[in-house]
Parts: sequence; structure tokens; C-alpha cells
Amino acid sequence: MTQTTAIAGDFLSLLAQHETRLFAQHPIGSMPNQTQATTVFAFHFAEGVLMAGDRRATAGNLIVTDKIEKILEIDATSLLAIAGVPATAFEMARVLQTSFEYYRRSQLQPLSLAARVRALARLLRDNLPMTMQGVGIVVPLFAGVDFSEKSPAPHIYFYDPLGAQFQAVGHAASGSGSASIRSIFAFHERHGTPRPSEMNRLEATRFALRLLMTASELDSATGGVDPSSNQFATLKILTSSGIQTVSDSDQAAALATDPNANAG
Amino acid sequence: MTDEPYRWLEAIANRRDYVREQLKGGSPAFAVSMPAGILLLGVGSGSSKVFELHDRHAMAGLGHPADIERIRQTAIDAAHIEAFTRAAQDVSLRRLVGFGLSAQVKQNFEQLFTAPVLGEFVFAELGDTPAHDHLVRLRFDGSFVTQSGGVCIVAPETEAESAAQEWLRREIESRTSLEAIADLLLQTWWCLKEGMSFPPTTPAESERQSGWKANLAGKTIEAALLRRQSSSVSRYETLVLNSEGLGIH
Repeated sequence: MTQTTAIAGDFLSLLAQHETRLFAQHPIGSMPNQTQATTVFAFHFAEGVLMAGDRRATAGNLIVTDKIEKILEIDATSLLAIAGVPATAFEMARVLQTSFEYYRRSQLQPLSLAARVRALARLLRDNLPMTMQGVGIVVPLFAGVDFSEKSPAPHIYFYDPLGAQFQAVGHAASGSGSASIRSIFAFHERHGTPRPSEMNRLEATRFALRLLMTASELDSATGGVDPSSNQFATLKILTSSGIQTVSDSDQAAALATDPNANAG
Repeated sequence: MTDEPYRWLEAIANRRDYVREQLKGGSPAFAVSMPAGILLLGVGSGSSKVFELHDRHAMAGLGHPADIERIRQTAIDAAHIEAFTRAAQDVSLRRLVGFGLSAQVKQNFEQLFTAPVLGEFVFAELGDTPAHDHLVRLRFDGSFVTQSGGVCIVAPETEAESAAQEWLRREIESRTSLEAIADLLLQTWWCLKEGMSFPPTTPAESERQSGWKANLAGKTIEAALLRRQSSSVSRYETLVLNSEGLGIH
């Protein structure tokens, strides 16, 4: 039989036993032209949390693709939004997906939200050598449901590149377009009617799409939303009962029925 | 003593008798391939018998709880390493059991100064259709048999297991619903536990039904379905089953 893992249910220690290295630990000679992914955000609305991302990846002044998925389902009640270098971010997502499922299956219980949040912080710390070189930097957002609460509800967390984790009260944003998005959030949280936390699903969907449209006008690395060319965002809704994806047709319908369409 | 061939053969035979003696009284477990997926079922008294291994894989077994746990953990470790380093579609029972578990269980059995695995197992792999399902029966000595779809029983007595499997294979053809098949498995479980012979002296269905229901005191029915049609990556669903009926947990 194989040896037991160093930490029961810990997939990373199992990988270490098999000498599988996740991230490069040594300095590299020259910096490649890195692919970057922006912009992502998440906010609380009346039904839960909406997490959104544009679909553009860039490398310097080049658009690599307008079809990237930046909002990733980690398990049935966890979402990860990636901003930064996709190569590292996708690997982190895969590690988290496998780690959470490995723990649930091997320990016969799901991982707590606190442990899921820390698992991502641990990966960011493990990526520190690459982050310090300016290569492979990832600044993600995480949303998960806390089932230890009396009424399980989704929560939003954001991170710094070194792995510090913070819980967001109303919203969080990351990536090159996040500055303009945070400004709009700050305005709407104070003066909006309704405020983002009071929006229903249709209003939240419409609000998220308009945020991305605005960010794309100010930031060339943020892909826009343009129904006429069938270009939409990735929108996922997290509630205590699971994850739902807002389809392209639902996004188109939300914009088509926008009473303020002419107001921009 | 083991450097003499005769002594070694004698020691192995003794060891086989010892393991069989230890497994006597174990509670049978079942795996059935059907259109809805693969149903795994066991009746436990304090320890679990049915487990999820990976997205499309599950196992059931009987024996010492520590050995069932050891096999389960080994299978889960191997499946997740395989899925992570390659892809989830590359996790297969053929490789998991044939190239991994079987050799380790055999080694444990034949190395006379190590503890043998006191357990018998069935592993299930969900395919796109019942014809592509795989069931693998792994024995305590490391030998295993693979079959495509159908029915697989894990029972402590080899002869009774074969007879029950043959009977169950015929009986199950007329049943389609999950509830009806689970009921039939529990009837078979009761017959095996009571040491009954299978045709022609099998008791009537009503007697078998009241038999399993009357014998549930202090025991828990464990059932799970590897569901064929599902939007979830993980196809394993725990079923809640008691003498009142079947529900999905």
C-alpha cells in the first residue's frame, strides 16, 4: 500500500510525495511577453453573489483571444475569478478543484469555507518567487458559501499578490479595468437606486454588463460587451443552492430590455 | 521455513483459510449497471461499505473496516494523482485495479510476514451507456475479474456468491426502476446472510421482502448511484434508503 499523506486529505502533500512541482521556483533568464487576463469583479445582490469577467486576454499590446473564461467553477459552491497570468491562474484553479474534491472524497466531509479561502492564499504564497520577478502574477477573487452559518450564504474574498486575503463587504474587483469599476461601485453603493445589494437578478445582470462596457471604454485590455457582434461576458451567480451561469441569450435579453439603454 | 517450497505452500493455504474465516459473516455488497447508472448497495452495522472514488468511479466492499479504508484511500490517491497529472478521463479501473491495487493486494497476501488485506471489493466505472460500464471484482488474494455492465456481488462465500449472482442476473431483467432493483438487492442480501440456497429452494418474494425489512434493526442501508445523466462533474449521488422507500440525499 502507499504511504499515508503527510496531512490527511491534503492534496498538495500528496503531490509532494510524488515529487510533482506546481510552480517554477527558480529565477528565469529573461521575461517572456506574458499573456494577461483582465477584468473581473464580484458583488452581492439580493439573491446572492454575481461574479463577472470580460473575455479578453492580452500580451503587451496584442489581443491574444476574446474567448477566455475568467470565472471558473471550483466546486459546486465555489467560484474563482482570475486576473493576471492565465498560465498560473488556470493551474491554481486546477489545483483547487482537485484539492477540494480530494478532501471531500478522502475525508468524507466537505472543506470549510475558511479552509477553501486559505488554500488559495497558500497557492499565492507558493507562487511568491514568480510574483517577485514580475512573472506569473495572479490577483484572484474567490466566492464561496459558508455552510457553518445558520443561514448559509455566499461570501466574497479578494487577495493581494502575496496571498493576503480580505473579505469584501459589498464588492471586489481585480485586473486592469478594476479602478473604473470600483469607482462606479462606490458611487452606486452610496447613491444608486436600487443599490447593488438590493438589485434583483435582471438588474444585477444588466448592471454587470454595463460595468464591463464602461471599463472597456477606458482600458484596452478589457474586452467589451457587444450584442451586435455576439460578444458577451462570463457571468455566474452563486447562491447557497449552487452556481448558475447567465447565458449569452439571457445577457442579450437583459440589455435589450434596458429601460435606460439610450442613457448608456 | 518459507525457503522450503512445501512449507511455503502450506503457509499460503493456511493464510487463505485464515482470511476466509475472518471474512465469514461479512455483509454482502452489490453493484448493478442499469440505464440510469450504476447502483451500489450494502448494509452496514456501524461502518461504511459504499464509497465515492472519483468523478465516475465508486467502490463497495466487505471485511475489516481498517482494510476497506486502506484500499479506499489508496484508490482515491491514485485516481486523483492520475486525474491531476493527466485528465479525469484517463482515470480507468483497468489501470487503477489491474496495474495498481491488484498487485499490492497480492503482495500483501503472499508476503507471509505482512498483514493480508481482510476484505473483498467491487469497483464500478460509469460509461456513456450500460454496455460501457465496467465492474471489477477484487479478491483478498489480489485476483480480479472485470466485466462490462451487469451485476456484481461481493459475498464472503465464493460458491454462494456465484449462485446468487446467477440468480440475480435473471431476476433483475424484469425490473427497471431504481426502487425495484434496490428492493431485489436487499432480498438477495437477506438470502445470503441467512445462508439460503438459491433456486430451486429460494423463498417467495413476499417472504424475502419481509425478511430483509425485519433484519434491518441496528443496521444501515448504504446506497449510491453513479448517475449517467447529470450536469455535475461528479456523478456520485448518495441515496437514502430504508424500509419505507428510496430517496436521493
